[in-house]
Amino acid sequence: MIPAFVNNEIWTITILGWLIVFVALIFLVLIFLLVPKIILWSTQRALRKKDRYNHKSVGDKEMILTDEMNAAISMALYLYFNEVHEEESNIITIKEVKRRYSPWSSKLYGMNNLNFPR
Amino acid sequence: MIKSFKLPLILFFFFFLLSGADTLASTTGSIQPDIFGKAMEGLERFWNFTGFANAHYTNFIMIAVGLFFIFLAIRYDYEPLLLIPIGVGILIGNVPFLAGNKIGLYEEGSVLNYLYFGVQQGIYPPLIFLGIGAMTDFSSLISNPKLMILGAAAQVGIFATFWGAAILGFMPAESGAIAIIGGADGPTAIFLSSKLAPHLMGAIAIAAYSYMALVPVIQPPIMRLLVPKKERLIKMKPPRAVSKQEKILFPIIGLLLTTFISPSALPLLGMLFFGNLLKESGVTERLADTARNSMINIVTILLGVTVGASTQAVRMITDPETGELINKGFLSPDSIKIFILGAISFVIATAGGLIFARIMNLFLKGDNKINPLIGAAGVSAVPDSARVVQNEGLKCDPTNHLLMHAMAPNVSGVIGSAVAAGIMLAFLM
Repeated sequence: MIPAFVNNEIWTITILGWLIVFVALIFLVLIFLLVPKIILWSTQRALRKKDRYNHKSVGDKEMILTDEMNAAISMALYLYFNEVHEEESNIITIKEVKRRYSPWSSKLYGMNNLNFPR
Repeated sequence: MIKSFKLPLILFFFFFLLSGADTLASTTGSIQPDIFGKAMEGLERFWNFTGFANAHYTNFIMIAVGLFFIFLAIRYDYEPLLLIPIGVGILIGNVPFLAGNKIGLYEEGSVLNYLYFGVQQGIYPPLIFLGIGAMTDFSSLISNPKLMILGAAAQVGIFATFWGAAILGFMPAESGAIAIIGGADGPTAIFLSSKLAPHLMGAIAIAAYSYMALVPVIQPPIMRLLVPKKERLIKMKPPRAVSKQEKILFPIIGLLLTTFISPSALPLLGMLFFGNLLKESGVTERLADTARNSMINIVTILLGVTVGASTQAVRMITDPETGELINKGFLSPDSIKIFILGAISFVIATAGGLIFARIMNLFLKGDNKINPLIGAAGVSAVPDSARVVQNEGLKCDPTNHLLMHAMAPNVSGVIGSAVAAGIMLAFLM
């Protein structure tokens, strides 16, 4: 049998604890619903100051990209980044080229002059 | 040169051989029985040192458990990065030995005891959280913040288990430590139990990690039971793109806000958000790379092995009241209760997330509706439960990919369980 004061403590922790977790995360939700709006507002303000703000607002529907469009953009980016040349180290190593002549590997001896005009 | 050394070497060897035989011949009659007596005594002492002489049947049960963990990890790929170190740890911890020689994990001064220090003092869990922060992408959560509430809803498992453990007769602090199994977060479970109930830490950690490994087995039936097929087919709209500014702000705001509410969770949440800032700032890539690779790997090895080894089946300690030697080993009725409570806690947490997601849908309209399956990912167990959601979603509709959406409640579950741990500490310490 649990003593009454312990039982009360358990109920308090159970209910209050869960509520506090909710409150903490709801605070985060509210802040992160607000943050994009603040960022947008500050960007618009900065653009307005520079007189580059475009008054035509972009609707949500225009912003949504279909899966196919996303796939096409991803593919294009993938191809682009794979084509970009790697950064060079700028260290040049000069290798000595040794080509000693040997008839054993000479291409000339392995060729037939079939197409030579006679 | 070598040949010239051969002869003196041979003579030297024969001198010792002959003189030894001579000595033995002169003393054969009087010492031979004593030699055999000493040999037998030595053998007996050696036998007493072996594991065979000190074995208890519980050791073999635990060794079988360890082998089962290793089997699950290798054969079914259930959390192998955790189950292999823990499984081997269980084997190491349950090889019987003669106490008092600085061998065992609980013997002061032994190597294993030094490694276990990181678990006992709660050093390893925050380091693991640092690595998790450095490898987690919070953008799915930032793009749809309302999904964060699912991470809080699933924490019902923790608090329901706390109540259940108290009903089963555990002290409040012990109940708090056991309850955290419902958070499905190994490091958090170890951190909290090291503070609230160190004597139960082995059982709690093993239960938490076992159920985390069994997420693909535990969750799908509950998902199918609580979410009707029609709702499982809901397609969610793709998450919006998240700016770099938002990604940098998230760990800073998250750190300040959550730790101001629950300062006891500072070691966990502080490290989690710190790791994430290392990743997202873009200027500390080297540090982020170390945190998410080398460091988390080293700590996982140490944590896994020592937690496994802490499940020593036979652990004789002196009873402070009677002065008698009693076995405080891992296999006890308390451990069995903890395992049962852990399973119930997982089920309640999963159900809590699913039901809350369905309730949320009542207030959402049109394409803002969420697929209730992602509620199951609120139990944390990153990223396994999100993967389970993805698989269940694909089973209903092969074109419905829920992984990115499920990652939001999944990572918010980590934050939620750490906050819950902090609350438990604040109430029960």
